[in-house]
Amino acid sequence: MSERLWRILVDSFPKILLPGLKMTVPLTVIAFSLAMVIATVVALIQFAHVKVLTQIARFYIWVIRGTPLLVQLFVVYYGLPKVGVVMDAFPAAVLVFSINEGAYCAETMRGALESVPVGQIEAGYCAGLNFVQVMRRIVLPQALRTAFPPLSNSLISMVKDTSLAANITVTEMFMATQRVVARTYEPLALYLEVALIYLIFSTVLTWVQRMGEKKLSAYGVKEARHA
Amino acid sequence: MLEVRHLKKSFGGLTVLKDVSLRVNQGDVTAIIGPSGSGKTTFLRCLNLLEKADEGELVFDGQTYDLGHVSRRDIAAIRMRTGFVFQNFNLFSNKTALQNVTEGLIIARKMKKDEANAVAMQALGQVGLSDRAAYYPSQLSGGQQQRVAIARAMATKPDIVYFDEPTSALDPELIGEVLAVMRDLAASGMTMLVVTHEMRFARDVSNHVVFMEGGVIAEEGSSREFFANPREERTRAFLRSISEENR
Repeated sequence: MSERLWRILVDSFPKILLPGLKMTVPLTVIAFSLAMVIATVVALIQFAHVKVLTQIARFYIWVIRGTPLLVQLFVVYYGLPKVGVVMDAFPAAVLVFSINEGAYCAETMRGALESVPVGQIEAGYCAGLNFVQVMRRIVLPQALRTAFPPLSNSLISMVKDTSLAANITVTEMFMATQRVVARTYEPLALYLEVALIYLIFSTVLTWVQRMGEKKLSAYGVKEARHA
Repeated sequence: MLEVRHLKKSFGGLTVLKDVSLRVNQGDVTAIIGPSGSGKTTFLRCLNLLEKADEGELVFDGQTYDLGHVSRRDIAAIRMRTGFVFQNFNLFSNKTALQNVTEGLIIARKMKKDEANAVAMQALGQVGLSDRAAYYPSQLSGGQQQRVAIARAMATKPDIVYFDEPTSALDPELIGEVLAVMRDLAASGMTMLVVTHEMRFARDVSNHVVFMEGGVIAEEGSSREFFANPREERTRAFLRSISEENR
């Protein structure tokens, strides 16, 4: 490798990593947390068959899952100002990513809720618990355990999807890389460099997932006879 | 203490309970027997509102409930004073044996945690599982799980405990330990209503036997009389088929 290229890579490393820590990570953490809240509420509405709200929940999932994330970003950031809704790039990205991810994770959560055997709910009622107590103490903890691996999957894809936010001027890692490329004309090396940083982020999350799963398997669910 | 009048229930077009009436006195151990599909389990589930009956009345502790139109508050009140033991145990799989027992005490009955733990440990002691308090259900045998479920049902000091085929899901060698616990519970004076296929239990432990077939009570009587002199031909046929099975 030429000395020049090496210097470019070393110089650009903090220029790429810093936006990663300042934008990509907060965007992912905030949006995914909000997505979890949305997903849980939307899944519970469907699980409890709340009238009208269930229809709205299905409609929400249908629209969000049926349209591209990039289009959603453009509608909110470039489109909504036409009707007077103007947002900075970062909050717009948080909004779109949380609503988008919320729709996917709601389906994951709904499936997990439905996988909890109905006998668990009946036993809860017979112990004297009410609906909210049964959900909070019996059903949701078991559902979360089931949903944990697919939700981790969603989180890892989201880290990478945040690169799309570059299209609405959020200066996250990918946009930072593009800027360096524009100055140095070294696309191959620099795009590989940013790919490596994404890979590191994803790897850390994979470790976290593995630790989380180990903790959750304390119930010994794998050997459960009446799951 | 408990009386059911004219209970009716159908699923879609299928009538499962045609017109069932039953009286249970304080301290009674009533066994409900009968061929599968006769409505025994549905009957039990209607009493605890796990199924909503089409019509019928429940007199329980001096209160009369219309089972066809029972309010959420009444359902909660009924369940607070009853225990239910399921065929498949249904222990909360995310909770330890001890937590399974304390859940209804702490969360539903607002008992202090220390007190609930003491009550639960005593209940687990009564079913011989003090040393398994910290185990999760998946770490227990079927017989142990069912004994925890019985401890959970009786720790709340219910007026009556319903048992829905409590030994049907168990391996044969595990049935004895569960029946022994139920026998102790009966001897302690607990009022019990037991759907069962265990004729020995019905004959030796229960004092009253109800034979259900085709959604009605075909015959009932004191257990000694019932087994010694069954009046109905279909009762005799059922008892014959059971004894052949056990041979």
